[in-house]
Amino acid sequence: MAYGLLIKNDDNEVLIDSDYPHYHFSGKYTHDSVTQVPDISYGGVANAAQGSNANKGMENMPSKGEIYVFTVPVDGTTPPMCFIKPTSSGTSAPYTGIVLTKQVSDEWEIHVFQSTVTSASPVLYCFAPLSQIDNTTSTTYGLKTFNSSGVATFDSRFKPLRVVGGGDIASPGLAHTGSNGSGYTVSLGINCSSSETSFTTQSSASDLIYYCPSIASACQEHTFSESDSGFHSWTYYAWARGDVWWCFYRSCFRIKSTSVFEANYGVYARGHVYEHVVDSTNVFAGLILGAITGGAYFAAAIAALIASGTFTSADLDGGNYLPYENSYRNNSANAFIISKASYYD
Amino acid sequence: MSYGLEISDSSGNTTFSTADSTWTLLGVYTSNADTSTDHTGVPIMTTRIVTRVMVDQISGDDESYVHTFSLSGSTLTTTRPHATETVKTVFMVFGK
Repeated sequence: MAYGLLIKNDDNEVLIDSDYPHYHFSGKYTHDSVTQVPDISYGGVANAAQGSNANKGMENMPSKGEIYVFTVPVDGTTPPMCFIKPTSSGTSAPYTGIVLTKQVSDEWEIHVFQSTVTSASPVLYCFAPLSQIDNTTSTTYGLKTFNSSGVATFDSRFKPLRVVGGGDIASPGLAHTGSNGSGYTVSLGINCSSSETSFTTQSSASDLIYYCPSIASACQEHTFSESDSGFHSWTYYAWARGDVWWCFYRSCFRIKSTSVFEANYGVYARGHVYEHVVDSTNVFAGLILGAITGGAYFAAAIAALIASGTFTSADLDGGNYLPYENSYRNNSANAFIISKASYYD
Repeated sequence: MSYGLEISDSSGNTTFSTADSTWTLLGVYTSNADTSTDHTGVPIMTTRIVTRVMVDQISGDDESYVHTFSLSGSTLTTTRPHATETVKTVFMVFGK
């Protein structure tokens, strides 16, 4: 730096550098609406004369989390840093994470996913560079810096971001470990161990807010098929049934304690598609396989759900939420930052 | 505070001080879907972190791989994990 202002703390960390834009508090926001991904459920006859009619719905499937939709008035192409003030902290708290960051005109739409349904709601504390927030005030004193182009980069009147901790955290791999089910009994509940990272110990966990975009997902399924044919009372019979149950999980986080940040998953979407046919002719010509992931029947079932407006009603993008099978994506470490709500309340 | 800088608002509340820590935004870099990109000219500070954000992405029908990355010197190297299923990823580099 040839000129300007550079301030460091006693750990030799840069606090203010007039060359670079600093994040400032743009506001505290509550959600506009709450939604969930609709259950993706599709199948044939509910009660067939032959074969099992067990679990043609969502029996034994884990509960979904809920999605809070926020509108953040940050006008610009740099995404806002949205810190989550969770509904609670500790080892019983739900996990919460930002799963969508989308610019809509001169605002940002933020989706906050919480692993369980609660009566309380998470709140967002959002930050952005000065150029992207409403930076008018009647206060006439404080400290303000400019870069070499004359653009304001720091202004103490707008509550600069103050950080109390942070680090990197990787999400677990599979959300469910062990068997995914047996027969018509599904076992897809989240049972993986949380991953965790320590940060500088704070005095109160309930005052902490965190920034950590969710990038990891997992998708797991249980498939089952059976069929039979033969003669009964001198009459030929044949039946076949094929099922796929699945869950799509998104990573989310919680403040475990005054010094530990945890990552795990919540059930973001879930589905069950089956086909059950009783027929005396040609029943085995691919019907069962056709009901399984990727088959024509499966694709048609999903298309029908989307066409019915199920997703539109939930104000969410449509899809099968089964983009891959029994695996996970993006669980490499992502940075997280911890601050305090009381700095901005 | 016995030394350093403390900035207060008109009510006397501290808004910022040298007892604090913060992260300064050094740059925002976007790697487009299904492409690997080297971003150069990343400012250098003693400590840096990188956050990745999937913008406009819900992961309904695609695998939604996020770019992996390495940051060395002034170059942020971002790599697509998959040729056709890697989503647009925004990298925000912070320093202190």
